[in-house]
Amino acid sequence: MTHPPGHRLPPPMGTLIERQAPLMFSFEGIRYAAYTGDTVASALTANGISVLSRSFKYHRPRGIVSLAASEANTLVEVNGVPNVFAERHILSEGDCIRGQNYLGSLSFDWNAWIGAFGRFLPIGFYYCSFFRPQGAWRFWEPVIRRMAGLGRVNVAAHHGYYDKAYLFADDAIIGGGAAGLSAAIAAAEKGRRVVIVDENPVLGGALNYGRVDADGMRAGDERNRLLARIKTFSNITILAGARCEGCFADNWLSIVQRQRLYKLRAGRVILATGALEQPAVFRNNDLPGVMFGSAAQRLIRLYGVRPGKRAVVLTANDFGYGVALDLADANVDVVAIIDLRHGSPGGVMKSAAAARKIRIDTGAAISEALGRGTVRGVRVVRIEPDGSAGAAFETINCDLVCVSVGFAPNLALAGHAGGRLVYDAQTAMHLPTNLPAEMAVAGSANQHFDLDMAIADGSRAGRGPQGAEQFAGDHSAYGVTHPRPLFPHSKGKEFVDFDEDLTVKDILDTIASGFEDIELLKRYSTAGMGPSQGRHSSVNTIRLTARARGKSETDIGTTTPRPPYSGESFGVLAGRSFDPVRRTPMHHRHLDAGAQMMVAGSWLRPAYYGKTQEADNAIVKEVTSVRSGAGLVDVSTLGKLEIRGPDSPEFLNRLYVTGHLKQPVDRARYGLMTDQTGTIVDDGVICRLAHRHFFVTATTSGVDAVIRSMYLCNAQWQLDVDITNVTAAYAAVNVAGPQSRKILAEVCNDIDLDKDAFPYMGVRVGHVANVLARVMRVGFVGELGYEIHVPAGCGEFIWDRLLDVGRKWGLIPFGIEAQRILRLEKGHVIVGQDTDGLTNPLEIGMGSTAAAKPFFVGGAALNAHAQRGLGRKLVGFKVEDGSLMPKECHLVIEGGEISGHVTSCARSAAVGGIIGLAYVRPHQSEIGENFTIRVDGGRLVSARVVTLPFYDPTNERQKL
Amino acid sequence: MNPQSFARRSFVYRRLPENEFAHESIGDAAVAKTSKFYTERTDLNLIDLSVLPRWGLKGRGSLVWLEQLGAQMPAADNLAIVQRDGSIVVRLSPGEALVLAPFRGECALAEKINSLPADGSGACYPAPRRDSHCWFAVTGRRTSDMFAKLCAVDLSQDRFSNGRVAQTSVARLSAIVIRHDLNGSLAFSILADSASAEYLWDCLLDAITEFAGVVCGIDALGIPHSVKQGDRE
Repeated sequence: MTHPPGHRLPPPMGTLIERQAPLMFSFEGIRYAAYTGDTVASALTANGISVLSRSFKYHRPRGIVSLAASEANTLVEVNGVPNVFAERHILSEGDCIRGQNYLGSLSFDWNAWIGAFGRFLPIGFYYCSFFRPQGAWRFWEPVIRRMAGLGRVNVAAHHGYYDKAYLFADDAIIGGGAAGLSAAIAAAEKGRRVVIVDENPVLGGALNYGRVDADGMRAGDERNRLLARIKTFSNITILAGARCEGCFADNWLSIVQRQRLYKLRAGRVILATGALEQPAVFRNNDLPGVMFGSAAQRLIRLYGVRPGKRAVVLTANDFGYGVALDLADANVDVVAIIDLRHGSPGGVMKSAAAARKIRIDTGAAISEALGRGTVRGVRVVRIEPDGSAGAAFETINCDLVCVSVGFAPNLALAGHAGGRLVYDAQTAMHLPTNLPAEMAVAGSANQHFDLDMAIADGSRAGRGPQGAEQFAGDHSAYGVTHPRPLFPHSKGKEFVDFDEDLTVKDILDTIASGFEDIELLKRYSTAGMGPSQGRHSSVNTIRLTARARGKSETDIGTTTPRPPYSGESFGVLAGRSFDPVRRTPMHHRHLDAGAQMMVAGSWLRPAYYGKTQEADNAIVKEVTSVRSGAGLVDVSTLGKLEIRGPDSPEFLNRLYVTGHLKQPVDRARYGLMTDQTGTIVDDGVICRLAHRHFFVTATTSGVDAVIRSMYLCNAQWQLDVDITNVTAAYAAVNVAGPQSRKILAEVCNDIDLDKDAFPYMGVRVGHVANVLARVMRVGFVGELGYEIHVPAGCGEFIWDRLLDVGRKWGLIPFGIEAQRILRLEKGHVIVGQDTDGLTNPLEIGMGSTAAAKPFFVGGAALNAHAQRGLGRKLVGFKVEDGSLMPKECHLVIEGGEISGHVTSCARSAAVGGIIGLAYVRPHQSEIGENFTIRVDGGRLVSARVVTLPFYDPTNERQKL
Repeated sequence: MNPQSFARRSFVYRRLPENEFAHESIGDAAVAKTSKFYTERTDLNLIDLSVLPRWGLKGRGSLVWLEQLGAQMPAADNLAIVQRDGSIVVRLSPGEALVLAPFRGECALAEKINSLPADGSGACYPAPRRDSHCWFAVTGRRTSDMFAKLCAVDLSQDRFSNGRVAQTSVARLSAIVIRHDLNGSLAFSILADSASAEYLWDCLLDAITEFAGVVCGIDALGIPHSVKQGDRE
């Protein structure tokens, strides 16, 4: 363990750490001490470690730049999770931290040789190389893939609990700094429900670490005043440690807080997102130890960490002098303040610095940072009248360079919402324009850098309404940001984009290659496409482009910010989602009986009962039981509809191909439904329970479309009909087989089950096991059978009772697979399996079901189909014994051409051999015709057209 | 007594095992009465009411029909009124209403609604809501917080007032959410597809965990037995 003394500062510095709660963590396998509240970055700095990672392309050592989790330099692996911002992750006892993107060790990266050959890796290198000679990519791809990307995915990672939640606010305020807090107070005073979202663990923004006056007290006082006021409001909700990742239409905000994604809908959005410090571009400006002045201030005040021993401050505004004062207060030797500005600019802060005898050089710049691994000094130059760097006049030894040369208002979220960012040449910063009506920008994001002005601007935004009142910029925005802090060096390595290792030369080469437009430049050079999304590179890229093209920054424009603002983990994106599943009332009985469940639409249904490795035997057993004794199948998933009202017969008569106007009460009829093109869309059984009351079943997966169609038609026809979907309200079973009547008789007292009293396709309402039931005699599987519908709450009870009483008659449950075989033996089609999106009734031999009636949906189209003639026909076929069994969708081949396809096929014990249904050309459809099916492996199997149904052609068994 | 003693069972009775919940008869089914998890200090309670009676009425004459029976009708759609007997009449649309039986005791309207013929009367048609929909109650101080994890409608206490009804999506499932405070405390009923009852129950269970919510019996609603107008047993 190492714990060098002297890096920690005494209280009151370190407002976020708990010194009485120390902890241990490891970095690169070495254990270090930290305090509760420390981030990885602050703790490592406190332990004297400045290299946190290696850069993406050249593998250069990298350290803290912003300490605001806004660039890739500080991405580390935390407990196996890659790409975690070191300054965002608050340490816990035992945390295991590793650096990223190196071969060897963080301190000695074998891949660092790439940096030495940087001149041979020009911009667009990957676009222009590796594709020649032919086949070269196969060699290079694995090499490049090994080197590409950041971090390692831990495939053994534990599942975490990630979820999502909705959130609602009248006003969502993004940013909890001075402007955000004052906006929240103003909005809350008007009784509005306010949510403050801030990415930092505590509210206050720059007031927590910044210096706005010479004695360094006012920021803290203002923060305390504002927070105290905030606490008095019950209508303010605070989301700290939460990032707003996107701002979408109608003020829909995506916010990530720890492992939760909030979906916040707000009446208004106020962006008080502050301003981001911007780097100066000079040689080796990426060396660890070169950081923003605000980063040093955060280390000092938030974490009580001294950022260095001997510092140089590069500045172009008063904030830099505040940084120098803070450094001096933290016992850092400030050897020089290098001010880019000529003359004697500056106010009270400069005077205070001068009073402390800190050396101040104006009209000067840093042309180069010196050192390997960490900064050891800087080379200082005079700035020529044209703004370029002159000759070096001095080298200053230091281990810390603080850069405070200007800001970029943080307006990415405004861009998400459609706002346009326009460069204001007077302040050298972007202004938000074209904002949505219910959005405002406040504070330094709106170019108010004076604390009083920022607070006033926040209050203005909080009071609302936006629009006319909105004002941007004030005198405090002038002179804050240097217009071109760019100092190209003859030896290069002046980084514009740290994420992507892009230097001045890379940007200029991109422009020289013809990619002048800022959007094209971004994509070709990848400037701004790294994890920081251009937060610290976009403005300098624009400035370089403007200078190279001889245009103004305003003319160059800016790229379009898009969500997410920062990075979102896969866990957050993929976290808890909702996927409803429907179960029948007998679901658990199926599981208890060993059923293998299958998905049928949104339902789970038993495929068969038994082990998967014994599926074939289980299915045969179930089929045999139905044919020889009795079987019980759960058909609760069938769609069920109540159609009631005086016009219900007329309604169904129009809707179905089949005739229902004169359907007798207590009788069921097969119902076939087509759409307006005459295509079959569903089928079912239509039971007439009373003169103006029908109970209609529909297919499991088709009922939703059926009911939509019914609602639409009823709205058009204006008939006096009520349509109620009662699918889930009724559990339904089909007890089928020659013994089914005897079984039902055991539990049914008030329905005469005699075959004449209750004939095939009859419907009765009575009691089954004392439960009120609707019973219909139908024969989908081709045996005597009863479909019994009972209230869903009683479904499990009925299932149990029928199995109990039926046991002595050989009753066993059967699943969907057995039912498919049984119905195939009977030649019954399944809509959706034996029909497709073009099938009309004529093609499946149901042309005769079209009743002679003046109108039904699809009738006109069906007539047209009839006149045009058939293009195909569904036929039953048998395959020679010993042949390979065709599968559904296998093709029918005629003369080498496709002439149809198989829709159903199974081996049938009852019929003997392989049977199936297939579409063939009309001339192939005559009974006795042979046709050829191409099966797996391309082999051809001969099939013969046979008469349907395969089983019990006279239908005697179902009419027993 | 256990749920399987009756022909009618709750759609989620397996989630309320006998060793953790005591059940009581309501005549044709058993409802979970008490839970070993419930204390008066819990801020969030989930209760299964699926076996309690409820009725749907559809058709353009349904509201008038209910009013003629003496029901106090909500003035607009998506509003609910607790009746004198404790039952809740919900107006879902100009042509659809829902009647929820009291948590304890008989519903004064029950007999007349039950006698409504299946094919309707005067453009009023019965709908079997006791079987088409499961019925869960969520009560307690953190109810709105819990809903925020499942439902995109703002159901917070000050925005979704007592007596309001939302026909919305809960955990991506179509649902009717009714606020009907009990004894001055937040209380909501959720009615949703009975076939998805276990799915929804599990979603609710997951959602209440964050707020230390517990699954309770009907006793947690705080409706004393004394209000019973007739013992269903």
